[in-house]
Amino acid sequence: MLNGFKSPQTIALIGSTSEIGQAILKHLPLENLSTCYLASRSPSPIVGISSKAAFVPIAFEATDTHSHEKFVQQLFSQGDLDLAIIAIGALGNDSTLSDEANALNAMQVNYVAASYIMALIAKKMVEQGHGRILVISSFAQTRPRNDNFAYGSTKAGLDFMARGLNEKLRGTGVSVCVLRPGFVRTRMTHGMVEAPFTVSAEVVGKVAASLIKSKKSVGYAPSILKPLALIFSLLPPAVFRKISQR
Amino acid sequence: MPVTHATGWGRTNFALSRSEQPESIGQLGDLVTSTKDDRGILAHGLRRSYGDSSLNSGGLSIGLENIASISIAPETGVATVGAGASIRSLEYKAREFNLFPPVVPGTGFVTIGGAIAADIHGKSHHVTGTFSSSVERIQLLLASGELVNLLPTGESASQFWATVGGLGLTGIITEADIRLRTIATPFVQVEETREPNLSRLLNALKSADSDFEHTVAWIDLSGDFRGRGVVGKGNYENHPHPSRNKQSDGLSFPNIGKVSLINPLTVRAFNEVWYRKPLASGKKSLSAFMHPLDGVQHWNRMYGNSGFFQYQFVVPDGNEDFIEGVLATMRDAKVASFLGVLKRFGAQSPAYLSFPKPGWTLAIDIPQGVKNLEAIFNSLDEELCRREGRIYLIKDARIRPEHVPVMYPRLNEWQKVRALMDPSNLWQSDQSRRLNLC
Ligand SMILES: Cc1cc2nc3c(=O)[nH]c(=O)nc-3n(C[C@H](O)[C@H](O)[C@H](O)COP(=O)(O)OP(=O)(O)OC[C@H]3O[C@@H](n4cnc5c(N)ncnc54)[C@H](O)[C@@H]3O)c2cc1C
Ligand SMILES: NC(=O)c1ccc[n+]([C@@H]2O[C@H](COP(=O)([O-])OP(=O)(O)OC[C@H]3O[C@@H](n4cnc5c(N)ncnc54)[C@H](OP(=O)(O)O)[C@@H]3O)[C@@H](O)[C@H]2O)c1
Repeated sequence: MLNGFKSPQTIALIGSTSEIGQAILKHLPLENLSTCYLASRSPSPIVGISSKAAFVPIAFEATDTHSHEKFVQQLFSQGDLDLAIIAIGALGNDSTLSDEANALNAMQVNYVAASYIMALIAKKMVEQGHGRILVISSFAQTRPRNDNFAYGSTKAGLDFMARGLNEKLRGTGVSVCVLRPGFVRTRMTHGMVEAPFTVSAEVVGKVAASLIKSKKSVGYAPSILKPLALIFSLLPPAVFRKISQR
Repeated sequence: MPVTHATGWGRTNFALSRSEQPESIGQLGDLVTSTKDDRGILAHGLRRSYGDSSLNSGGLSIGLENIASISIAPETGVATVGAGASIRSLEYKAREFNLFPPVVPGTGFVTIGGAIAADIHGKSHHVTGTFSSSVERIQLLLASGELVNLLPTGESASQFWATVGGLGLTGIITEADIRLRTIATPFVQVEETREPNLSRLLNALKSADSDFEHTVAWIDLSGDFRGRGVVGKGNYENHPHPSRNKQSDGLSFPNIGKVSLINPLTVRAFNEVWYRKPLASGKKSLSAFMHPLDGVQHWNRMYGNSGFFQYQFVVPDGNEDFIEGVLATMRDAKVASFLGVLKRFGAQSPAYLSFPKPGWTLAIDIPQGVKNLEAIFNSLDEELCRREGRIYLIKDARIRPEHVPVMYPRLNEWQKVRALMDPSNLWQSDQSRRLNLC
């Protein structure tokens, strides 16, 4: 249960090795935390967080959707789940034309698995009458670009699903929020050419923590990307093509 | 079934639940036996508990407002009261017979069910003990649908004392017999003294206990935090006087939305005025003396939408330095508290989870938004645990579950009795889930 400070008592971090996910955890109020589930392919403890909570590793393979229902049951086995952070993601490098297998993996992880898990968790949260879910979308979902549209499309799908689900959940006490980070310096983007407004995972963690606490359903990290997204979507194709060239 | 949004008095914890207000005990029984829900059922009264004691997210919440009859047998002085009746209505009815409940809380807007489920205390604790000391019988609806009578002694005693202070988690209280005391007049003879610092305040309170049935101190928690305050003492007036029996609704505080009127400036000004106000002495009406804040309804709204916490603890004698420490902590945290109430407790009640025990109790209202408040509370709790003190669960919105068995060493015994009374875990609250009570 949340306490009177709205601090979560039980959290699930899905994609617990994610650098952004871990940064989010660090910026959350942890005074009330009792249990934190760390779900990943290779369950491992988390470092650099001081809390009295029990950190419980759980095995999770995103592409194995048949296992997801059982996995979600585990998250609710000790009592209410207050907050779920869905941080799994895979970069579907380049485009579908050069690396189909990679694109397929991104579709499965970013769209299929993340959406499915989100829906399963939401359903259980509705039964308990409260809960908050954060999903990590991306600024890349704003508008297709020739170099990352496969990835962008998976995030656009997830983003759409999350916002739709959030509408559906109105009045249930449960809500979903979508975080759209820009280019973030993490393992995922290692070695890539940095885009303008590149930030660290720490910055994203801070934005995400305040998004979770707020009643908002969409947040950008850094926040300057919000007006930029609007401009990007309004630009004529030729102009957009020109400025999005790296 | 309607889904409603509910909150405790502090407006910090919220819950969505299905809600019902049965018209009779029979209807209540049908409702309980026909409900099969993993999220369970919880009874509530007037929701004067501060945090999540009266909330049941995702489950069924049953309000007892329609089960509120009061009948008094003047020859025995015993009132048979529906659990949804308020203390205030019992007081008015009792006064018709020159009777009065021996233990009443700081507000009259508390139901008999809520008073038993929290084993509440009043200004008279050092003389009368808690509310349960005047409860002669509890009628309880069990999870099985069976209606049982519980008595403080004999076969049903363990169930009686598990229900007293049991936070609604043993069943639904439907009715109780309350032994009233006789009063000669509806007045109290009052005296007040002003004390410049904490040690003087504690001493004055201590010595007042031998001469007065009702004692309490208001303590200034703004400004210099040295613990200055006003001690209020009272005894029932013994000379008959024609009784005035007027029940007024008083004022109501408007809903002011996001803003809070509580800030260090307003609080300091208020406390300054309060400390300097002319001291009362002489006759005061029982209700004005017992329930000073009831003149303004919904005063909790003055804290705005983000709400406030009440930190109420008790520490055994010899831990006066802890109270000093709390004052220093509040000063350092720049807390401005509008309400600080200090009192000495007498003996512990036989109820497993009853809050009062011998020593000092201090209740402080603190608005949400004070920096690091959550961590401050947690470290005060840890110190309390070391000193065998405890937090009042009915005021709690935030303690950590591992502190509960330390603060309430009989939790385990209570859990055993409770499990026998409710093997299917039908009775649940947000607080019971948060604190792993069951
Ligand atoms: C201004 C103010 C002053 C106060 N002063 C005092 C004081 O001086 N001393 C003191 O001890 N307390 C005091 N309190 C606290 C108050 O007495 C308790 O919170 C009390 O339990 C509130 O009763 P309620 O009817 O509002 O119950 P609720 O807040 O609705 O419920 C409280 C608990 O009682 C249970 N409950 C309610 N009805 C039933 C029932 N029929 N059967 C089973 N369980 C039930 C609920 O499940 C819940 O756990 C004060 C509160 C306020 C707001
Ligand atoms: N970095 C950026 O610039 C950026 C920008 C916008 C959005 N995002 C999004 O932010 C989220 C976190 O990314 P990050 O930057 O923190 O990168 P990251 O460290 O690489 O995190 C990705 C996470 O996804 C998990 N994952 C991938 N495939 C999986 C699978 N099949 N099964 C289970 N887990 C799987 C990874 O687990 P393993 O450790 O097991 O691989 C890892 O925990 C992702 O959703 C990403 O798309 C990132």
